[in-house]
Amino acid sequence: MNKNLEEKYLKNIEDNVNVGQSNAGIEFIILIAGISAIFGLLYIFADAIGVFFIDRMSNETQMKIENAFSLGIKPKTYAKNNNIIKLENIRNKIVSLDKNLQGKSKFPIYIVSDKNINAFITPNGQIFFTKGIMAEVKDEEVLTFVMAHELGHYAHRDHLKSMSRQIIVSVISTIFTSGNNDISLTLDSISDLNGLTYSRKQEREADRYANRVVYKLYGRNTGAVEFFKLLQKKEKAPEFLQYFSTHPSTSQRLELIQQER
Amino acid sequence: MGDILFILLILGITFFTGSIIEKRHFDNIKKREIALFRQPIINFGAKTWNTNRKIKKIELVTGEAVISGDYFKNFVAGLKNFFGGRLTTFESVLDRGRREAILRMREKARGANFIVNTRIESIMLNDTYMQETVPQCAIIAYGTAITYE
Repeated sequence: MNKNLEEKYLKNIEDNVNVGQSNAGIEFIILIAGISAIFGLLYIFADAIGVFFIDRMSNETQMKIENAFSLGIKPKTYAKNNNIIKLENIRNKIVSLDKNLQGKSKFPIYIVSDKNINAFITPNGQIFFTKGIMAEVKDEEVLTFVMAHELGHYAHRDHLKSMSRQIIVSVISTIFTSGNNDISLTLDSISDLNGLTYSRKQEREADRYANRVVYKLYGRNTGAVEFFKLLQKKEKAPEFLQYFSTHPSTSQRLELIQQER
Repeated sequence: MGDILFILLILGITFFTGSIIEKRHFDNIKKREIALFRQPIINFGAKTWNTNRKIKKIELVTGEAVISGDYFKNFVAGLKNFFGGRLTTFESVLDRGRREAILRMREKARGANFIVNTRIESIMLNDTYMQETVPQCAIIAYGTAITYE
């Protein structure tokens, strides 16, 4: 065999034309970026539709939808104690301030036995306070802030908005990705992150709402600021974890209500 | 929320392990190909083959290789499946499978002068009707090894 042919053969072994030269990692990043971009546009579209229709929805339709969703939710009723009466007085004050809250749900208040400091509202307007928050917080101003935050969610129709965008996006993405596990896994992850971002935005809006209400009723928000400082002291999670959470970090919320008026 | 971090972790780990394994395999293949440099010459596609020399031995030689893509490769291929385009992550798997199969066949035919009538085929090991299949590349190379007296 002559020498040229030998060299040619060895060179052939070295550089392989059958294998793509592109880096798989870079390819992966480009693919993910492309999918996120498309998906982001889809979310903007879904948001636009949801906000357009839900803001124009009449109160009766809203009540109908809410009752259909919360058919099974019926908490155990406790005897009315001082705490509940106190909360009901606060609720009546806030409801009389805002037209968006009148003529809808009656906003019954319940206290659940849970040690965490927390409060939440169900889609049909039932408000829950934990025993932990009732034991920790005695100040009426702070309770007003918490109550106004929950009622703010209801007044903004946040539950309907987040539900509608999720339904629109999942229907469209299922049509396109049916049968492809990898892409639906990616889309699920992206939509989780996106949903959390949206939820944090809603929480900030509710905080702003509550801040306005507290200013209207008391002319100051020092109680709420103190409350967030207390929470900040108790919180042990690092700052970056907020990107994986439904609520903004406590220090951010504190900053927000300190800036707003 | 844990899901996303978990998936990213798996993707990261399999990306690194997969690329290390692939690099080592390619190095190994190159070394063996250079070592087998002057070993039996392959003759593809000869239906009939004539020689005047006396033949000592005729023998069927085969080489098989089954190579699987890692989780990262499959994931990227799954995403590519949506947009279309070259599945570059699987090209290297196919190349490894083919070269490995031919190398094994040639190693089996050591001492022979020729391998005539060589064929390379890909086969399915999976049950194609099942949903959960292992993405793999199974290659079989076979030919007739001829040894002169």
